[in-house]
Amino acid sequence: MPFQYIGRSYERNDAFAKVTGEAKFLADLEFPRTLHLQVLRAEHAHARILSIDTSEALACEGVRAVLTGRQCDTLYGACLFKDVTALAVDRVRQAGEGVAAVIADSIRQAKAAVTKIKVVYEVLPVLVDPKVAAEDTTNLIHPDLGSYFHLPGYLPEPGSNINHHYKLRKGDLAKGKAEAEVVVEAAFDFPLSAHSALEPHGCVARWEGTDRVEIWATTQAPFVLQEVIGGIYGIPHANVRVHVAYLGGGFGGKSDVTVEPMVVAAARLVPGRYVRFVCSRKEVMTSTCLGRGMTGWGRMGARKDGTFTFFEAKMWFASGSSADTEANVVTVAGHNSVGPYAIDHAWVDAMGVYTNTPPTGAYRGYGHPEGCLVSERLIDLLARKLEMSPLDLRRKNFLSEGKTNSLGETIRAYNGNLHECLAKVEADLYATPLPPNDDVYLYGRGVAAMMKSPKGAAHAGSSCHMKFCHDGSVLVNLSGIDMGQGAQQAMRQIAAEALKIPPERISVYREVDTQHSPWEWQTVASMFTYRGGNAVVKTAERLVATLKDNAAQVLKVSVDSLDYDGAFVFHKTDPDLKVAVPALVRGYMGEHGLTVGTVAEATAADRLPYYMEPHPETGMGHAGGTWTYGAQGAEVRVHRTTGRVDILHFVSALDVGQVISPQMIRGQIVGGVFMGIGQSITEKIEIGPDGKITNAMWNRYRVPRLSDMPAKQTVHCVETPEIRGPFGARCVAEHPMVAVSATVLNALRDATGHDFNHVPVRPDDVLAALGGDR
Amino acid sequence: MTAEILSLTVNGTKVQVLYDGVENLLEILRDKLDLTGAKEGCGYGACGSCTVVVNGKAELACVVKGRARLEGADVLTIEGVAQNGVLHPIQRAFVDAGAVQCGFCTPGFVLRLHALYAAKPDATDDEIRAALQKHLCRCTGYETIWEAALLAKRYLVEGP
Repeated sequence: MPFQYIGRSYERNDAFAKVTGEAKFLADLEFPRTLHLQVLRAEHAHARILSIDTSEALACEGVRAVLTGRQCDTLYGACLFKDVTALAVDRVRQAGEGVAAVIADSIRQAKAAVTKIKVVYEVLPVLVDPKVAAEDTTNLIHPDLGSYFHLPGYLPEPGSNINHHYKLRKGDLAKGKAEAEVVVEAAFDFPLSAHSALEPHGCVARWEGTDRVEIWATTQAPFVLQEVIGGIYGIPHANVRVHVAYLGGGFGGKSDVTVEPMVVAAARLVPGRYVRFVCSRKEVMTSTCLGRGMTGWGRMGARKDGTFTFFEAKMWFASGSSADTEANVVTVAGHNSVGPYAIDHAWVDAMGVYTNTPPTGAYRGYGHPEGCLVSERLIDLLARKLEMSPLDLRRKNFLSEGKTNSLGETIRAYNGNLHECLAKVEADLYATPLPPNDDVYLYGRGVAAMMKSPKGAAHAGSSCHMKFCHDGSVLVNLSGIDMGQGAQQAMRQIAAEALKIPPERISVYREVDTQHSPWEWQTVASMFTYRGGNAVVKTAERLVATLKDNAAQVLKVSVDSLDYDGAFVFHKTDPDLKVAVPALVRGYMGEHGLTVGTVAEATAADRLPYYMEPHPETGMGHAGGTWTYGAQGAEVRVHRTTGRVDILHFVSALDVGQVISPQMIRGQIVGGVFMGIGQSITEKIEIGPDGKITNAMWNRYRVPRLSDMPAKQTVHCVETPEIRGPFGARCVAEHPMVAVSATVLNALRDATGHDFNHVPVRPDDVLAALGGDR
Repeated sequence: MTAEILSLTVNGTKVQVLYDGVENLLEILRDKLDLTGAKEGCGYGACGSCTVVVNGKAELACVVKGRARLEGADVLTIEGVAQNGVLHPIQRAFVDAGAVQCGFCTPGFVLRLHALYAAKPDATDDEIRAALQKHLCRCTGYETIWEAALLAKRYLVEGP
């Protein structure tokens, strides 16, 4: 189907403001007579708070108030696992957790006063390894786990540190094992890493009295924040107004509720005043949230012809001090670890385990890269044992029409074409012979496939409001947060296509504000193009229907004889009988100003079509009805004496349904792949035995730079239209990162002959593996 | 701590600010002059988001401190790059190459290249690489930023 505005690259609607510095991010906003907040953070990873003395801090120059945990002890949970408070109450569970907050006239005064707060701790034993913490029933990080409110889909084990135990029980594991002629197994490690969005987390809050608060936050989830704050204070959620300015990257790290409840609680001590807090980079890395943190084990079996007979895995996730988001990470890691394959017998245990580390939250693709590493590495082991091509082995078992995935859902042709994705990767990656090893370098290639389900919530939805202006230009209002991915430009092009009006005449309302913006669940799980786009299309249909109704009254013909082309509503059989759109947008004004018809404004919404919580015993069910499939491949080069890994060529083929903007989608995929390369070969949060992070600085935590770029990245967008997606599109934001680590490790096996089953693989790991024969 | 007067030239205009002897250039620009285009990503010179041009050289504003370095400094910030609403060729190149995603790092990259190309219009690929290496971007994977840098070099000669 030919499109006018879909599938073409335009200048992004936010590009001008961003290259000129005119775009205002949270820290750039100015408020009158602002007070500043600074935080005293726990110096121990696990300790009882015996006493806090704030008297000296309160006496410091410029100090207005000091907040401690007992003043804000309501448990909350953005994902409805209520196990966290705005500041630590009587116990700290991670080094960096907030213990007290000072409000002062200036940042310097607040910082100085923080040092005057005296806390007496009784240090407790520290748990960092989730596997160890899962077995420890004497040192409980949350002794009250059994009393916490949580949604029924979370399955905690009170009396232990296990906050969620997801079980996948598909088929009959014993039967699958009996059928297997070849079996492989391995242990895996996917440590904690930091999102490292360039913009730090921050929040500004101002109370009017005690039942109304206005908040500016660096959040991907303003409506969730509204619910959390409203819930904590027992005030109408309508009295909580959340604004989101330009957001400088998110990657999931800003979908969790982090610093906001603390700032809001502190601001309540000084009603009428704006209280501002922006994290230092160290605070972002030690106290907001981290991602990944999986230790696991997997086993897989196949017949001699390569048919997979069973998949079995156990994964322990370091939840950190709060289980709230992590429980969802655990669930999706569990059922997605099986990969895009038809396997009749799958048995997975995925556990979220409290550890004395920062809360683990959503991080681009959460749970998927971790699970993907397990199955995609095992498949490479199987291929070698079966003496089959790893590509053919995958192809033999790929999900396709009529087969069932791990959740028991039947796959349809429109869900995407894995075979085509892998064929594209193969054609590019193997187009030339692999360079032969030489005195300096070893060369290798590897592939991996991926799937991603839209982990959401049963009600996860997006709403849209649209109105015509007097001149026929259009205002589109949504609450999907543009954190750099181009969400608003994508919506602009979808609206243009649906309304047949050029994108230049469509303005997507820039700021999101819970008071004026339509409801959005949250901008996560790569679902906004799908849900928001559908909401735009539905809203546009209503607007066009109004224009036609108005025109029918003017032209005195029946509505069904009218058509619309963006500029006019006209008669189908006599196109000269027409009314210009601007004349219809607020009703039609006829002779002597007499106006007929209605105002062209509309709203509509969309949600995941088929989502339900997994069955508590089998872990099966419906994940939402839309997936994105893909395959990736890498050619790598390993330096024999330095151990340095270079990515020479990285190929991605994702079935995106329909490209909205070629330039933006390539930007998403290339950026996502590179983030995946970072987590595969350079990035790791280092934690000492005392639970303290030793590299919470960008000088020590190695976010990749320009020199780490792959020599070449190839991107293919396969377009199997999504049956329910806007103009056939499906989502792609997190997907480029899902299979990167598995791909790189498979290529490293090819290059070095060594099976790496952990990330990151750094030069020392390579040198140790090469051992004597380098 | 006593406040004193500090004189600078910012985007071609002479300004005087109250200076307490401790503030860095980034604080002066953002908090005293409301020039918020320079961003604080880390506060210790690792990310490049606060880069501005000082006396013709790209500098990390968060670590430029002390009267000796600040007094009389001629500073160009991102707010001074576009003229009369028309993008500078480097800015135009970033837009055209699709090098802008979240935008937090963008002003720093633009100013880094501004200083580089002003001094060396024919900068080699290695020199451009060395300049861009000082910055972090988490969205783009640098591919489009690299393309924008090459495009900007061309735009500066041929026009956008």
